[in-house]
Amino acid sequence: MNHKTILLVEDNPDDVELTRIAFAEAGSEHQLTVVSDGAEAVDYLLGRGRYADRNTADLPTLVLLDLNLPKLDGREVLQAIRAETATRSLPVVVLTTSAEPFDVDEVYALGANSYIQKPVEFERFVEVVRQIGLYWLALNQPPTTKP
Amino acid sequence: MPPHLVDDQDDARFRLAMASAGIGMAIVSLEGRFLDVNPALCRMLGRDSGELLGHLVHDISHPDDLPLTERLRQQLASGEIPSVDVEKRYTHRDGHVVEVQLNAALMRDADGAPQYVISQFRDVTAQRAAERALQAANDHLEQRVQERTAELEAAHRRLEAFAYGVSHDLRAPLRTIDGFAAQLARQAGEALDAQAHEQLARIRMASARMGTLIDSLLELARIGRAVLKPAPVDVSLLAEWVAAEMQDLHPARPALVHVQPGLEVVGDERLLKGLLTQLLRNAWQFSASRERVDVEVEGARNGHGLQFVVRDRGIGFDMAYAGKLFEPFQRLHGSEQGSGDGIGLTIAQQIAARHHGGIRAEARPDAGASFHVELRDLQVPGDNGDTHATPEVASA
Repeated sequence: MNHKTILLVEDNPDDVELTRIAFAEAGSEHQLTVVSDGAEAVDYLLGRGRYADRNTADLPTLVLLDLNLPKLDGREVLQAIRAETATRSLPVVVLTTSAEPFDVDEVYALGANSYIQKPVEFERFVEVVRQIGLYWLALNQPPTTKP
Repeated sequence: MPPHLVDDQDDARFRLAMASAGIGMAIVSLEGRFLDVNPALCRMLGRDSGELLGHLVHDISHPDDLPLTERLRQQLASGEIPSVDVEKRYTHRDGHVVEVQLNAALMRDADGAPQYVISQFRDVTAQRAAERALQAANDHLEQRVQERTAELEAAHRRLEAFAYGVSHDLRAPLRTIDGFAAQLARQAGEALDAQAHEQLARIRMASARMGTLIDSLLELARIGRAVLKPAPVDVSLLAEWVAAEMQDLHPARPALVHVQPGLEVVGDERLLKGLLTQLLRNAWQFSASRERVDVEVEGARNGHGLQFVVRDRGIGFDMAYAGKLFEPFQRLHGSEQGSGDGIGLTIAQQIAARHHGGIRAEARPDAGASFHVELRDLQVPGDNGDTHATPEVASA
């Protein structure tokens, strides 16, 4: 991929749509790739299953990961990709509805780079998305390791 | 024949002592036969002296204790040990087991050669039975406690799962409602008239209110099961901090806050900040119609904790309804008067209850309200501390 890609792992189509709108409103020019469950996220990132033909050297710049997902939940996705050399250092931002302290701590322990609670109010959500873009896609220096 | 002691006079004295002793006594030969027994021993074993004299100790010992009996006999008879103090079982004539604390000592003759054994038998059957009953009761109690603890833990887990479900599953649709309402308002532009835009705005306000309500419910659920972290807390500092947060939230509202410095209590700082937040938010809300928010926080320590009052000059309320103040979802004012979600004071009350105290309200319509808070010092952990969730609820 020549330009920066974000992988959004989200099963709720409304949230997917709103995230697309929010990225557009925030003026982001990144390509948003969406997978709708945890197993598909792992397949996509590691080039397995229906993504066996994908060039796995093309990793997204950032993964936005929901926690409550079908098949594999967000924690299991984190475990799976942190166990692989190729995706060990991939920046992962957990973007979820829960603000439970045990979720936050568990997810950091599993190797998440950031934890953000999705706000209910749309304008605040747009602001969150804008800040994510600003920090993770512009400001942050991503890992240089290639598989 | 009973053996002779040192002389006849001593012998007579010894026999008198044996005969009148309250505990069982016997003289036993080196090969383990009863040479002499006293009445107390006969009563203990339900046998008359004829059934015992000349018979082996083995014959009336509990079958399971025969190896022990033989070993002790050998060790005493050989002079390997001078005395024993063991617990041993015998068989009563009617067949029941007699548990005995046996004290036996080897007697030697003038030349130092082992001669016979003097044994004392203390019946501990009733004592052991009582101990076993107590142990069984303890085991049973422990099992009951474990069962109840497991039930409580399961209930806690269910509550936690419920709170989690509320957090996630109720908030997600709200985001959809608010997000698309916002989009609609933006995209429709002049295609919708002012009334339609107003209605969209109401939809969004309602979803925001429900978001706050869900947050409050979650906070209420967390207080009950929060593990307390007791430490000395400067309540005055917390009040100043929360007041500053309130002023940041409502920059257009003039506010005069006076906090008495040095109010301290041993408590959970995070929870106490929550308590002050609810009380000060309350003061701000019900001063909405005033030119200025006026709040005073003052108090004093008593022997075991802190009493303080948060006083405002807002619209107050009729004391006739004071009992409803701390009930969840009860509101004394309509939303046009700045009412909250009806959970705030319940949260504050629960936090005070976790500090073994409570909150009492005093007010007059249109003349401000005072919330009197009583907190007891929590025990610091390691100091036999109470760090468990306590189900008790203090009275308002």
